[in-house]
Amino acid sequence: MADILARMTQITADYDDQTALDAIDLDLPEGKVIAFCGPNGSGKSTALRVLRGLHRPSAGAASVAGRPLTDWEPRALAREIAMLSQSPEAPDEMSVADLAMMGRFSHRSRFSAPSAADHATVERALKATGMTTLADRALGHLSGGQLQRAWIAMTLAQDSPRIFLDEPTNHLDIAHALEVLDLVVRLNRSEHRSFVLVLHDLNLAMRYADEVVLFRQGRIAAQGPTEAVMTSETIGSVFEIDCDVVTVASGERFIMSRSRAKP
Amino acid sequence: MMRLRTVSRLGLLTAAVVAGFVTSLALGSSLIPPGRVLAALFGEGARMDEVIVWTLRLPRVLLAILAGAALALAGALLQRVTRNPMAAPSILGITDGAALGVVSFLWVFSDEANRLTVSIHWQPLAAAIGAFGFALIAGGLTLADPRGRGPLRLILYGIALAALAKAAVTLVMIIGPVYRAGQALTWLTGTIGAAHWGDVAVVAAGLAVAAPVLAWLNLPLRQLALDPQTAAATGLPVGRTQIVLLAISVALTALAVSQVGAVGFVGLIAPHAARLVIGAFAPGYLVATALIGSLLVLGADTLARLIAAPLELPAGAITALIGAPLFLTLLIRRQGTHG
Repeated sequence: MADILARMTQITADYDDQTALDAIDLDLPEGKVIAFCGPNGSGKSTALRVLRGLHRPSAGAASVAGRPLTDWEPRALAREIAMLSQSPEAPDEMSVADLAMMGRFSHRSRFSAPSAADHATVERALKATGMTTLADRALGHLSGGQLQRAWIAMTLAQDSPRIFLDEPTNHLDIAHALEVLDLVVRLNRSEHRSFVLVLHDLNLAMRYADEVVLFRQGRIAAQGPTEAVMTSETIGSVFEIDCDVVTVASGERFIMSRSRAKP
Repeated sequence: MMRLRTVSRLGLLTAAVVAGFVTSLALGSSLIPPGRVLAALFGEGARMDEVIVWTLRLPRVLLAILAGAALALAGALLQRVTRNPMAAPSILGITDGAALGVVSFLWVFSDEANRLTVSIHWQPLAAAIGAFGFALIAGGLTLADPRGRGPLRLILYGIALAALAKAAVTLVMIIGPVYRAGQALTWLTGTIGAAHWGDVAVVAAGLAVAAPVLAWLNLPLRQLALDPQTAAATGLPVGRTQIVLLAISVALTALAVSQVGAVGFVGLIAPHAARLVIGAFAPGYLVATALIGSLLVLGADTLARLIAAPLELPAGAITALIGAPLFLTLLIRRQGTHG
């Protein structure tokens, strides 16, 4: 059991009165970089939110880190799993450092000021995201890419062994997207943190994920090691496109879509 | 750790409240110089000075300070909970709800001889019932709105409900017994004139209960600046925190309004001023908000006594003179950024 990050059993969840997850079973292993992929509205973000306890399923059971989701006290769960949602919001006047300190909520004591450990963790998170020099800048004065990195800094400052990121490369140009995903892999390899990412870009998923879960219409179409799941047949049927998976000289594999959607 | 800048600014605000306190005690139909005010306060003054300061002026001045702090805190809490800089007790209909509670109370529980048939100490409870009732209706309408729960919707429902409560208050005063109308009217527009030591004690007790709770909830209150999903992901029990803070906000409003009347806009102005003076996320933000609220109501009440002496203006009219333009500014600026 200890090697299971999260487990969903017959989970059904509705979103805006539509079935977003349809009685799915899913086991996620610990210690890996896992990508949730699939068409828009296929249920991948809802699955992530259910696992973090942010969305109440209408049926089924979920457990994380070996305990049923309903048994967790909010702060204790936050110390186990951090999550960055798709479009987080904070006041424009808040500084980057203040935002990162928000990530320390589950660790801080009620009455005292932030501890030395809080400050050290925030500094590490700012450094890892390249935001140290912008620490005192107000969020309203950041570019889209800087803002996204500020949010990732907040998520890292939570210092949880498991981190969920819902489309972390949103608003990022290719260089910054690669930087964020390199950071994910580095934290996974050197600090043994588990990551679950919702990724739209299949090529990024193929390059960075150890495992992929493919969602389609609220069900799981395929799950397993990236190379096994990301084949032209599976991707073609999930996204309803014609595509090839090509291997370049370095051994890396890429998806090339061939034409527009099937009739 | 509080920065030196924050500490010094809080010190300046405290000094301003103390200066306002002494000045307000000095001013009135007979001017008592500050030196004699201080002497009277410490029991070293002339007999006449002591009577004027202790019996006539001190309860009123203290009530203004305490009620100002309560209204300002109520506004700061509302703004955080709703994540809306335009939220304030008077704008969401809570102040007028409390007013309706009090006027109804005066109407129902008076006899022909213009005497209350029950103890006046029930008046804060009547205010609380009105305040909570209107807060629940505004919140319920916003939550049930099929077109989304946007912050602007809450404001619109609040303004509509405030208008409704005001109309109901007027109606009660017209169809109610005439002998209560005059008393209700002066109370309504917010006049602290008839302050007694008992009123001071009631508001002081309420603040004494709220202060440690707010200190305990200081971090969760900050965390509410994030959107609900993100706040929950950092470990905050969002719904529970919002409900507790809303209840404190409405209770503080009801308490203040039941004692000083419908002094509006303090809960809007004070948090914004505190944001400018020390910053919304600096430690000490709530303390600064409370101090500014005290200054505001104290200043308004002192002006209300002096401008047209011996007539007294309602203090609420003076706070509205500052508050209404601020609200319009916020509304215009918001539309500029959020289309």
